[in-house]
This record gives sequence, structure tokens and C-alpha cells, in this order.
Amino acid sequence: MKNHRYLLPAGAFLVCVLGFPLAHTLWTAVSGAASVPRMAGDEILAQSVRVTLAFSLMSVALELALGLVFALLLNAPFRGRGWARAIVILPWALPTAVMAMSWRWILNDTYGVFNDVLLRLGLIDAPVAWLGRPETAFASIVLADVWKTTPFVTLILLAGLQSIPKDLYEALRIDGAGAWSRFRLITLPMLRPAIALALTFRLIQALGVFDLVWVLTGGGPAGRTYTVSLYIYDNLFRYQDPGYGAVITVTFMLSVFALAAVLSMGMQDRRA
Amino acid sequence: MLTKAVRAALIGVVAAGFFGGCGTKDARPVIRLLTGPDSGGGFKEIIRQFEAARPDLRVELVEGPAATNTREDMYAASFMAQDGAYDVVFMDVIWVPKFAAAGWILPLDDRFPAEERADFLPGDISGSIYQTKIYRVPMQSDAGMLYYRKDLLDAEKRVPPRTVEELAELARALQSPPDRWGLVFQGQQYEGLVCAFLEVLWGFGGDVIDAEGRVTLDSPESVRALEWLAGLPTRLAPPGVTTYQEEECRQMFQDGRAVFMRNWPYAWTLCQKEGSPVRGKIGIVPMVHAAGKTSAATLGGWGYGISAYSKHPGAAWSFIEFATQAAQQKVFHFRTGAIPTRKSLFDDADILKGSPHFKELYTVLLAARPRPVHPRYSRISDILQRHVSAALVGQLTPEKAIQDAAEKIRQALQ
Repeated sequence: MKNHRYLLPAGAFLVCVLGFPLAHTLWTAVSGAASVPRMAGDEILAQSVRVTLAFSLMSVALELALGLVFALLLNAPFRGRGWARAIVILPWALPTAVMAMSWRWILNDTYGVFNDVLLRLGLIDAPVAWLGRPETAFASIVLADVWKTTPFVTLILLAGLQSIPKDLYEALRIDGAGAWSRFRLITLPMLRPAIALALTFRLIQALGVFDLVWVLTGGGPAGRTYTVSLYIYDNLFRYQDPGYGAVITVTFMLSVFALAAVLSMGMQDRRA
Repeated sequence: MLTKAVRAALIGVVAAGFFGGCGTKDARPVIRLLTGPDSGGGFKEIIRQFEAARPDLRVELVEGPAATNTREDMYAASFMAQDGAYDVVFMDVIWVPKFAAAGWILPLDDRFPAEERADFLPGDISGSIYQTKIYRVPMQSDAGMLYYRKDLLDAEKRVPPRTVEELAELARALQSPPDRWGLVFQGQQYEGLVCAFLEVLWGFGGDVIDAEGRVTLDSPESVRALEWLAGLPTRLAPPGVTTYQEEECRQMFQDGRAVFMRNWPYAWTLCQKEGSPVRGKIGIVPMVHAAGKTSAATLGGWGYGISAYSKHPGAAWSFIEFATQAAQQKVFHFRTGAIPTRKSLFDDADILKGSPHFKELYTVLLAARPRPVHPRYSRISDILQRHVSAALVGQLTPEKAIQDAAEKIRQALQ
């Protein structure tokens, strides 16, 4: 019991770097409570919420699907598997702003390598301004996010795969089950906690996306990639409206908490 | 384990450093100044000259990040905490209303009277004024303009365009897309788009808000201006223009991939550098206007103000006065390429020798107008960015975009 005091330094640190800002934001939101009704009629907020939700659902769904495929591949024994595992993690290790800047140039219409490759392959006949049209710009931020964070999902799912006892597969094999049955009856159910974990982490991160969009498109064109985080930033720093910014922040935070709680309940149900 | 002797010696050294430091400490008042990276060494040279002239004062230069909005946030954060970290405020023209309305900077009317202002470019002065009081002494001017390929026009025996029709006609005649486009401009959804749009808007006789602060954006002139701008992408401007900032434009123009370019004066120096494919082949004119109207340029530029939380406002003023003299602006120009704010320097033989285009630049600068002067300018700008961008990519008709933007700006200014 008395060992708890060893938690004090870490606890004090957390209070300073997490607790204090949180309390301060809550306090700012309370003092800006009068602006709560403004959220209802705020079209820019509504649009940014739609953009953020669409971005999060699409990117996380793609990351889970791709992450599962990569995890299964990397779990199978083959020569050079250690190297492959190390290489797959690379995109995730890059700072987001740096990789977003690279994508900006990759997707550039005149000088971008992406257009060059597509032109050489004959898939398009003229360079496309990927970030210049609302739909392709939106697709581009999803693509860049999938490229960057699929490794994270792969890593979690790979760890999940390795914790599945091998004898389960053997038992099923003896019963004459094929590869697809083994995947459906063992891999997928046993992987559920890892999937739920990856889903929770990724959703929380995706809903708060800032740096990637900030560098890649700045929220444009026509506000089609403008996310809630960009709007919060603009309210706090550019419009000098910390009260309203904090109100949105707290509302957003509570929604994410609720979502995380639902997800983790789903995870526990299955294990019980 | 320290021995007693060593410990005593250490204490002695620390104590001597501590108390001794107090005795010999520099007693001169320190004037602190936050700028961007001092790459040409212009600020350091001015400070050296100032400290030589005024040995009783000391200036401490804080070189901040190159991103100007980050520096704006640094200043704002320090002002919100009411601390006197910076005495001299090195300000972009668009910060003035926001900082002045918040009471963060001091009015300078007594120190900088009307007769002193006469030698400065009129746009730079009007951009330094908020609600009849002046808050800034301009030290670096900046304005948008139209670059053109002199060689291409000369080959066809054509003169540079003055109206939107002439520009469109020339651009169509001289372009050969996708290798060479007619016109490039800042079309991404960001501050630069507002600057480019305002020049066209003013050139058509429209405006965003009037002198009393009423929103006048929803006018037939504004719709025509946006129709013209929104008609450029894919016809006279590359489809990717909706992703371009200044550097993407400069790159295209410098590579010979555009006949015309809307940009700031900095691009001149880079396009004229040794090895540039368009070196010696370019010219500048004021941005085009509709027939029967006049050209306008969006004003940029920097100047000095005094923090309301400064402990040495008098000393800060001495530095500002010194740094904005003609001689110091000249030094700064040669170190950094910055454009001076004093009219007399545009006739200066030394400056004209290195920058013969300053003659044309002077006409551009005389027509420069500040962006809507309002403490909530950043909201106005964001609304314009979003709606002009929507018109450029065809999500909204120019008419609808103008109406929506005007309505949103009215709401935001309530």
C-alpha cells in the first residue's frame, strides 16, 4: 500500500502537463458557457464535424483492412521477415508535418512524382491537381493518413496474432477445417480485443487530426478538408475567442470519451 | 564525496558569481525586439549602428520563426499575459487593428506627427492607422503586382496589359498549355488568396467594407470580379492553381511555364538571379483593372510599434526613430533586399543601380491599399478564403459565393 508514494513524481508530472491544461480548458469553457447556443447555428462547425467524421471513418476503416492484411502477411514465416517488419513501421516513425510536406510535393500537379508515374503508366493523359479539387483533396488527406498510420494498426494486430495459441489451429485442422474457416473461427474472434484497441486509438487520433491537414491543404479547397481541430485552433489563436474555442474543445472531448467508452464496453462484452 | 575545502571553494565561486554579477551588471535599459530570422544581418547592423549612436541603450534581438502567423501568436500570447517581454513590436500591416483594438500597443501620434509621415508611402501610413490613431512606423513596404514575360510580349510587339480584357487576351494568345500557361496566382485557400482576390475586386471597383465598417461586398462589381477570377483556372491558369501559394507560382514563372504571374516583389530578385531561365526577360506592372477603373495592389509590409507593457517606451521610440531613417532603411535594403518605405529612396541613385525596377515598383506601391482594417480581420479573411476558393473550384457560383460571404461577414462583425 505504502508503495503508492513512488507514483508521486509521475503523478505530479501528469498533473502539471495534463491535469492543469485540462482544468484550465474546462475553466475557460465555463466562462465561455454563454456561447454554447452558438454551436447550434454554426455552419462552419457543422461542416467541419462532417468533414472530420467522414475522414475518420474512411481512414480508420481502410487502415484496419490494410493493417489486417499486412499483419497476416508478416505473421506468416518467410525469409527476411524481420526486415519486412522493420520496413513496414517506417512511415509511422516519420514526423507528420514532414511527411505531409513530402506529400504536398508528391501530389503537386506540375512537379509531382505521383502524376509523373500515372502519366507514364498511361492511366491519365494530363496531370491532375490532386489537392486542387475538393473531392480529390479529401481523398488525398485520407490516402496520406492511411499511408502513415496503417503500420500502427499492423503492429497492434501483429501482436494480437502472436498471442493466439497455436494448438487451437491444430485442433481445428485435425477436425478438417480449411484456411478460411480457421481464419473465421479462430483468428478473427481471438483478434477482436486487438482490433477494438486499434480502432479506439485510431479513431481518437483521427478525430483530432490537425497537423496533416494543416500542412497538406490548410483546410481547402472550399473548406472541404477543414476539420474540427483547425476550427478550434482558429477560434483560440486567430479570432481571440478562447471561450467559444474551449466550449467546442470540451464538447468534442466529451464526445470522444463517450465513443471510447462504447468501444471499450464492446471489447469487454466479447471477452466475458 | 566532496571535501570540505572543495565545497567551501564552490560556494565561494557561486556566491562571487551571484553577487559580483550584480555589481558589474550592464545597467543600460534593454530594448527587446522579436523579428523573423535575420538572414541578411540587416537587423544586427541597424542595432550595431544604434548602439554606437546611443551608448546608454542596449537592444536585444530575438530572432523568431520565419512563419509570420507564429510570430503573431507569440506576440499575442505575451500581450495576453501582460508581460513586457518585447518593447518594440515588429508588426505585419494586418496585425495593427487587432493589436490596437486590444490595447496591446501604444498610439504614436505625439511622437510621429503628420509632417513626419509625409515622406512615407501613403499606403504604409494608412495601414498603420487604426481609428484615427497611428500605431506603427513603416520600415518595409510590400505590395502585390503583375509580372510579365517581356521577351514573349516583345516578340509579338505587344505592350503590357492594363485591363482585365487585355490580360486575358494576351494570356490566351501567348500560352501553350500544359507547357506554358497564361497566368499563375495564389489560388490555395489561405491568406494569399485573399490578397490576390482583393486586387481584382478593387480593380473592378468593389470593396469588402466601407470606411464606416459596413459590409459592401455584395455588389455587382464584386460578382463581376469573382466571375473573372473564377473563370481563370483550366482556361488561362493551370488546374492546379487552386493549390498554389507564392512559391509554387514563382517556380512556374521562373521555369518559363507561365506568361503572367501575380506575386510580391520578392520574386523579382529570385527570377533575376544568375542561372534563372527568365533572367532579364521579365517586367512588372500594377495589377490589371476593369475598363474605366483603376489598379490597386494589396498592401503588405512591416513596421515598428511600441508594446503597451514596455517598461522603456521612450527608449523603444529612440530605436524606432533611428531604424526608420532613410540612411538605415538603405542599409537594411542592401542587406536584405527589403523595399524601403520612404518615397525619397525610390530616387536614390545607389538603390536604382542595383534595382532599376524600383521605378515601376513605385507606381505599384502608390496604388497599394490595406486589407479590410478591422480587429476581426482574421474572420473576414477566413470567410473570404473559403468562399472565393469555392467559386474557383466551381462549388459555388460567383454570385452565390459573394452573397454568402457578405452575409457571413456581417454575422461575424456583429
